[in-house]
Amino acid sequence: MDMTPTQSATAVSDVLRRLTVVFTDFEQRLSATPLIRRLTRGRFTDADYRAFLIGLRQQVKDGALWMSRAASNINDDQLELRSKLMRHAVTEHRDFRLLEANYVAVGGALAEIRDAEKNIGSEALSAWMFHEASKPDPYGLLGAMWIIEGLGNIKAGEWGRLVQQRLDLPDEAVSFLLYHGENDAEHMAEFEQMLGLVLPDEAVARRIVRTAEVTARLYALQIEEMTA
Amino acid sequence: MNHLRDVFITGVGAHLPGAPIPNDQMEDHLGRVCGRDSLLGRRALRWNGVKTRHYAIDAEGQAFDSNAGMCAKAVRAALDDAGLESLDYLASATTQGDWLVPGHGVSVHGELGCGPLEVASFQSVCGSSLMAAKAAWLNVRAGEHEVAAACAGEFSSRWFQPAFYEGTSLVDAKGRLAAEADYLRFTLSDGAGAVLMEPKARPDGLSLKIDFIDVVSLAGSFEPCMWAGAPSASRSDPMTTWSHAGPVAAHAQGAVALLQDFELLKRVIRAWVGVYLKKVDQGRIEPAAIDHLLCHYSAESLREELMGLLEATAGMIPREKWFSNLPTVGNVGAASIWVMLEAFLRDGRLKRGQRVLCVVPESGRSLVGFMMLEAV
Repeated sequence: MDMTPTQSATAVSDVLRRLTVVFTDFEQRLSATPLIRRLTRGRFTDADYRAFLIGLRQQVKDGALWMSRAASNINDDQLELRSKLMRHAVTEHRDFRLLEANYVAVGGALAEIRDAEKNIGSEALSAWMFHEASKPDPYGLLGAMWIIEGLGNIKAGEWGRLVQQRLDLPDEAVSFLLYHGENDAEHMAEFEQMLGLVLPDEAVARRIVRTAEVTARLYALQIEEMTA
Repeated sequence: MNHLRDVFITGVGAHLPGAPIPNDQMEDHLGRVCGRDSLLGRRALRWNGVKTRHYAIDAEGQAFDSNAGMCAKAVRAALDDAGLESLDYLASATTQGDWLVPGHGVSVHGELGCGPLEVASFQSVCGSSLMAAKAAWLNVRAGEHEVAAACAGEFSSRWFQPAFYEGTSLVDAKGRLAAEADYLRFTLSDGAGAVLMEPKARPDGLSLKIDFIDVVSLAGSFEPCMWAGAPSASRSDPMTTWSHAGPVAAHAQGAVALLQDFELLKRVIRAWVGVYLKKVDQGRIEPAAIDHLLCHYSAESLREELMGLLEATAGMIPREKWFSNLPTVGNVGAASIWVMLEAFLRDGRLKRGQRVLCVVPESGRSLVGFMMLEAV
């Protein structure tokens, strides 16, 4: 484990580069899904937005839960990483309530969004995340966080503004998307720090990138399956 | 016969029409839409950082050259630079030629006025320059031709005259031009550039050996981002473009104007970075081995987070290795990369053995091209 700071920095930037490529491919796949195409081409309806909120709720609700489970599977040598995941889970575990409030603000019934069944993509994504989080030292999940956080930082605000503009909605009806879109440069620095805790390690690096790829594909499947 | 040859850029030419026009005189040449000064102009100029540019239209609005004419002058300048008299292959690039039909290639040949040639026309936006360069490169590489030219020209100011906008839905009741149209008026300008390619280096001075030219289109995932020929709302549907409405109705819809979608541009920029980083990851581009970067890009507009991303992913080429003449010559679209290369070679900073990476992003429908050169 005697690595020089340069080796560690190189390992981090190599993984960040591979993750960035995964994210840009993911972004293009998302833009080709029917729901997002309707949004960017101006054919988006209130019903599309409600379907979108229902679809997102499942995964947002699960997010804090798999992160907590992952934290509980991290060994004592990585207490710092465990703390970060736990703090992260606490910050986000109530966010699905915001989605419910948005749903009601666009004319949906609370019971509808709460009782909705997960779509096929959400089922697959959720099963995958909990499966990975249940393994010992599930560092690959940093790749999943990269994808999901990236969506929050980069896509959410863009989507929120488009939804608001297309459907002429007040802020309180798109607060989940807009709030997540507040671009936070600190996230990147924090993510680099987390990578630095588990790298350099070629097997871990490969697992992080692979987990990002699988998560991105399943996330896109979840959006593909969202239809009004 | 199946042997591919090395190919060298042995001559470079640029043609910028008239005198450099400073910011405060731009609207004398472009005209004022509905007689009023632009609201957006100064902001656009801060964003793109251009201080002077050239127009092939004088202060009275009279054109004194054509796109094909400027290209022909650039090709002749490149021939002079290489010490050659003639060529046998001509690939021409532009965003919009002088005619709708036929293509730009034959128009440039017509202005050159020389004997029979093989020609090819490439029409896109900035990236058409490298499409033409790739055709010229492969033609020489395969032994089809001994002297090939790739040229590119733009006559954007012609599109920015008030008549393109007045009486259309792009101008509101108070006579204000929509931002997606006005921004480009303060960004693009006129000129042409050309390179000559041969299967041997020039006898004196430096030549540039072409290592590779890669052009990557992401249009399968993106709507048009900079376009003309359709109004903003229906731009993604090829069945509703200008010729379906007819020229008069299309003009009224604002379909006969160059337009830019800024929101989409942010996504397109990330996609370009993705393509670039993929090439770094594959070892096609090694940032540490690049001595000079010529990026057709408004460096001033590169947002900080983008720089941060390139640095964090070890993809950044240090700023001191970037060369650009954008502030003085403006954004000449497809011609920019050749106009930049010409100024770079004249600058004298290039040394034998150094590697030069040219990057040409095109927001049109999300395309990006790369050309790797080595000074020999």
